[in-house]
Order: sequence, then C-alpha cells, then structure tokens
Amino acid sequence: MASTLRLYLTCIRNTLEAAMCLQNFPCQEVERHNKPEIEMKTSPELLLNSVLICRNEAEKCLIETSINSLRISLKVKQADELENILTKKFLRFLSMRAEAFQVLRRKPVQGYDISFLITNYHCEEMQKHKLIDFIVQFMEDIDKEISELKMSVNTRGRLVATEFLKQFI
Amino acid sequence: MAGAKEFVEADNAEAIITRIEHKARKIESLLKQYKLVEALKTALDGSPPMTRDERCKSANWIVVHRAIMAIKDIDGILSSLDPEYYDILMKYLYRGLSTGDCPTCEQCLRIHEKLRERAGLGCILRCLADTVNTS
Repeated sequence: MASTLRLYLTCIRNTLEAAMCLQNFPCQEVERHNKPEIEMKTSPELLLNSVLICRNEAEKCLIETSINSLRISLKVKQADELENILTKKFLRFLSMRAEAFQVLRRKPVQGYDISFLITNYHCEEMQKHKLIDFIVQFMEDIDKEISELKMSVNTRGRLVATEFLKQFI
Repeated sequence: MAGAKEFVEADNAEAIITRIEHKARKIESLLKQYKLVEALKTALDGSPPMTRDERCKSANWIVVHRAIMAIKDIDGILSSLDPEYYDILMKYLYRGLSTGDCPTCEQCLRIHEKLRERAGLGCILRCLADTVNTS
C-alpha cells in the first residue's frame, strides 16, 4: 500500500517536472490582457494533452497544461461518510484562504476535491522544483491531516458520550 | 482535404481492426511462450497513427494492455526494448493510468517510473505535446 503511494507520488512529480514549462503569453483575443490559458481554453493550439493519473478508483490527479498556466486537480481518498465531511470542510477551509497559498484555486474543478493553478508568474518568482515539492508534500500531508481529524473527532465523541452518560449510572 | 482523410479512414478502420485482431492472436501465442519482449513489441508496432476512430484505438489499447499486464521483470523488458518504442509505450501508460482500475494502475505506475529513468523527461513531454497521434 505504501509502495503504491510512493509510485503514485513519483509519477506525479515526474509528470509535473515535464509539464511545468510555462512562459509569458499575452491574450491573443483581447489587447493588453494576460489570462491563464488553461482557464480560458479558447485556442486549442495553446493547450497540451491533459493527463489523468489514478492510484485506484478513489484517488486521482488531473494535470492540465497550457502555454502559460498549469492546473492540478486532486481527488483525495474518502473511506466513509465521516472522512467525506471532514475532507470537504478542511479543503474548503484551505480554498477560502487561497490568497495566502498563491498557487491554490478558490474553487476545485468539477469532480475533484481541490485544485491548484500555477502560472508563469509563479514560476518566475518561485523555484520550479520547490513548487513541485510543495504539491507533492501537500498530497502526503493531506492524508495524515484527515486521519488525525477523524481520530480527534472520534476521541472527543467518546469522551463527551462517557461524561454525559455518567449521570445516568 | 480533411474531409477526404476522414472518408479514407472509415474504410481503413475495418481493415485496421481486422489487423489488430490478427495481432491479438499472435500476442496470445507469444505470451504463452513467455516471449514477453516480442509480445510487447508486436503490440506497440502496429499502433494506428493518425486514426480518429475510437474503435481502432480501443481495440489496440486492449491488445497493449494485455501485453503490459503480463510483464513481470520490468528492467529486463525495458533494456531489451528499442528506444523508438519508448514514446508509444509512455502514451499507452498514461492511457492505462486514466482507467482507474487498481491492478492496471499499479502496473502502469511501476513501468512509468522505470521508463522515465531510461527515457527521461523528454518522453513525457512528447506525450503531452503530441496532439496528432493520440493513443
């Protein structure tokens, strides 16, 4: 199980290293505008093939590249209802604060839990391999965070229930 | 110009699918004899380039998938495979990874890592950039 995680993350890292080849490209349709082409999708010649990397049925990663921007969408493993709710709430919390993360997208792409949007400006200000390290580290930490949250919810629930039911003994 | 090509393809599609079926039988027999490298080469060889027909692509994918799942010794296979097959193999690996089926994905991830070590990032980039011959 752990080995597939390592392989999955290696595959994503390699694909990102190849796909993160971004350069500045002003908008072709509108003067003086500069838009991330992966979001607009107006000209097919500016887009590369999108790649879907699945670890299993539950977890997948969609990487779409264009000439000046790259979008990474993740679907996180959710084993049961509780994890479903926790993941949704936690990732919504992060997405709301997308300004602080810079590369995070405010709304995830349809069908996924969270999305990143990396533009050529990010690549100019920050180092490419550090950006990739960040994404991969994020994917590793997300699973740990969700398990910790689930454990703390269960512990708290158990404590509260014990205290409450003591009055009936 | 493009219209003429589509028309030609519709006729060719049937021919291509028959060819792929022949290939499938040949690959089954090669796999039984444990000639895994030959099986993989045959599967990747007749990859119909420039075909828009989904049926041809799916038919070829099934054949390649069979060959890929039979691979046990990845390093050995990759060292005996010619470099010209690396790009085609990478495209089929990405197609395998998009299926979401557990054993396929595991196998494809394993091969992907080894193939990247051999072929480098250029192989991956050629997959992403090639909009003409999609797998």
